[in-house]
Amino acid sequence: MSIESQSSGQERAPLITVSNLSVSFGCTVAVQDVSFTLSPGRALALVGESGSGKSVTARSLLGLSGGTVTADTLQVCGRDGLALRDRQWQGIRGNAVSMILQDALMALDPLRPVGREIGDALKVHGSYSRAERRARVIDALKRVHLPDPELRARQRSTELSGGMRQRALIAQALIGDPQVVIADEATTALDSKLTALVLQQLRQLKEQGRAVLMISHDLAQVANLADEIAVMRRGKIVEHGPAAGVLEDPQHEYTRTLLRAVPSGVPRFVPLSASPAPAAPTAVAADAADSAPALRAQNLSMSFGGRRAVDSVSFELPSGTTLGLVGESGSGKTTTARIVLGLQKPDSGQVQLLGQEFAPRKESQRRELRRAMGAIYQNPLGSFDPRYTAGQLLADALSKGKSKRAAGGYRDEVAQLLEQVELDPALASRNPRELSGGQRQRLAIARALAPQPAVLVLDEPVSALDVSIQATVLDLLDRIQQETGTSYLFISHDLSVIEHMSDRVAVMTRGRIVEQADTAQIFGDPQHEYTKSLLSAMPRLR
Amino acid sequence: MSRLSKILAWLFIAFWALTALAPALITPGDPLAINPAQAFQAPGAGHVFGTDESGRDIYTRVIHGAGDSLFIGLAATAVGMGLAIVLGTLAAMAPRWLDGIILRVLEALYSIPSLLLALLIIAFTGPGVGPAIIAVGLSTAPGYARLVRSQIRTLKNSEMLEAATVLGRGTWLKVRNHLVPNALKPLLALVTLGVGQAVIWAAALSFLGLGTPPPAPEWGAMLSAGRTYLHLAWWMSLFPGLAIVVVAAGATLIGRALGGKARTI
Repeated sequence: MSIESQSSGQERAPLITVSNLSVSFGCTVAVQDVSFTLSPGRALALVGESGSGKSVTARSLLGLSGGTVTADTLQVCGRDGLALRDRQWQGIRGNAVSMILQDALMALDPLRPVGREIGDALKVHGSYSRAERRARVIDALKRVHLPDPELRARQRSTELSGGMRQRALIAQALIGDPQVVIADEATTALDSKLTALVLQQLRQLKEQGRAVLMISHDLAQVANLADEIAVMRRGKIVEHGPAAGVLEDPQHEYTRTLLRAVPSGVPRFVPLSASPAPAAPTAVAADAADSAPALRAQNLSMSFGGRRAVDSVSFELPSGTTLGLVGESGSGKTTTARIVLGLQKPDSGQVQLLGQEFAPRKESQRRELRRAMGAIYQNPLGSFDPRYTAGQLLADALSKGKSKRAAGGYRDEVAQLLEQVELDPALASRNPRELSGGQRQRLAIARALAPQPAVLVLDEPVSALDVSIQATVLDLLDRIQQETGTSYLFISHDLSVIEHMSDRVAVMTRGRIVEQADTAQIFGDPQHEYTKSLLSAMPRLR
Repeated sequence: MSRLSKILAWLFIAFWALTALAPALITPGDPLAINPAQAFQAPGAGHVFGTDESGRDIYTRVIHGAGDSLFIGLAATAVGMGLAIVLGTLAAMAPRWLDGIILRVLEALYSIPSLLLALLIIAFTGPGVGPAIIAVGLSTAPGYARLVRSQIRTLKNSEMLEAATVLGRGTWLKVRNHLVPNALKPLLALVTLGVGQAVIWAAALSFLGLGTPPPAPEWGAMLSAGRTYLHLAWWMSLFPGLAIVVVAAGATLIGRALGGKARTI
């Protein structure tokens, strides 16, 4: 509170000064010669791929890096971070510098009331009485605009919605009245409305005169908030400057790659990555409109307990095109996907695949038809048998489960599939666990393509990937659609991905499709209130 | 598992495999050759482990007994595990009512102490090597079956299985290619532990005269024979007993190490 009362003078002494910070783990150097300052009322964004050293940098400001830290200067709120012992760091954490954690929805203990979880920080830091602690917790919850703070403080995190938990976490980070707030991928994996909420909260912190350090892999997320942007790659800052300068006139090639990877506003089939594949932005599927739809869902409904997860959902997917299904978490997108894939029997309604009855139908009667529809999941590793190598997974898919040995006549086809998804055929002998996130998703795509399906159902296929990797996977999906004419049902919470990938978009909330139209129409002239509110929450770069 | 303990484990397995399959390579004598003049010889130069009441060489008999003891232990575990895979998979895949019936039967069997169950089975079949295998196998099956069932039930709801469904795999292919192999992997360590246990039980049955009939050199039977002369020829019981301890402890140690490895994955 002392901070809010201070005048908002422009040039105040920096709260954190870092020069030539290096962090190493054993003989691997995670962060090398990183320098920056954090000043009151300013926001710095550290942007880079996973593994670029952003999180390690942020953690070393809290004495939590876990590695060997060296620096010319590491000033944290007037103290020399290099000389601090662990107990002294405890006095800084949560008090002077606090952190909003990455895995936002998992960071609260499900067994304890939220209020007590938040109040814990006060127990460590001050000698407050029980009643005082309670009052301060309620106060912090009010500050983040959580409705019914008294009630919510008594509830456990599982009784709170995603948005409430997110607010509670921010309140937790604020309870010690920190001068510096670090948000480590605090918006990653959140749907656009929650993202907007977090960004708005961070903006308020900045306006209150705190220093904000934002860490993200997505330039669009930080574009609105950051005053300065530092782009990190392989432990080094490759470009550092005022936000407008970095975004509009990037100097480093890597910054340009990251900017190009942001999919919003990029027309269909225009590559997001600098892949060697030639760009072919012509609409191949122009004549598809008059043929029969590849997939048709009619009046799908499904209830769990008393709750309607999916409510009279109907859509058509013309062959060779992409239908984007967008909505917040819990809107019923995934249940819809599971019904379409025949994994869940709907209470009512039908799904037709290539004009034939697909669901509800007996499994034995639709087995052959199943080959016409494939699925890609958010977490490909979970959908692979852990005993199989990449090649065995593909051989298994090619042989309809009869053989997993690539040598049994499938070697060429396995290599072909791997090449189709731009993976090195030498990876066939590897276990998927040894592959990177992007490679795993490519492998999942290759496996889904093995039976040459007419339709792919993609449920959040790129949500777990960094923006730069996401760009290459989206480009791959574009290329495959152009080459094979496969139709996509593309499900995502990310509006910018949906905008780039879809011919038509269906907006879903509370189990219903509230608006369905061509992509340009949805994003240019939305009709439904909900669509409008979603779009206004979308972080935009262009 | 460190490199050294890996080598030791393999040496241990190789030694007992050789002993069981080709005992004549290790000791040239005849385990059944009687020489009354040499009865009750204490361990010494001529007979390392001493001789028994009929003058048979204990060392030769312990080595030749490995075949029977290990065979019963392995075969019984195989019977138990095989039965467990069938019952556990069936229960996990079956509709709720059938699952319930199988589970109640397994629980009823589980509630009877295994050795008693084995004795009960032998009471019906009569003694012998075959009945001993079946008795020990049947009495270990309920425990394994419950584990197989729970493993498969967990796997059944995994994304991996959904992916297989979407690829159009039928129930049989899913069970054969994904469910059973993945369910068995964490059970491997348990099976190794089970072999040691089964060797002990097989010996126990023979000790009670319900397994391998004398004069065949089976460890449990030898223990039993030695018991009569314990006060004047301790070596008759000690060495077969030691063999049982070494095999059971070895199997347990290897099982533990495998279990540790399974946990780290």
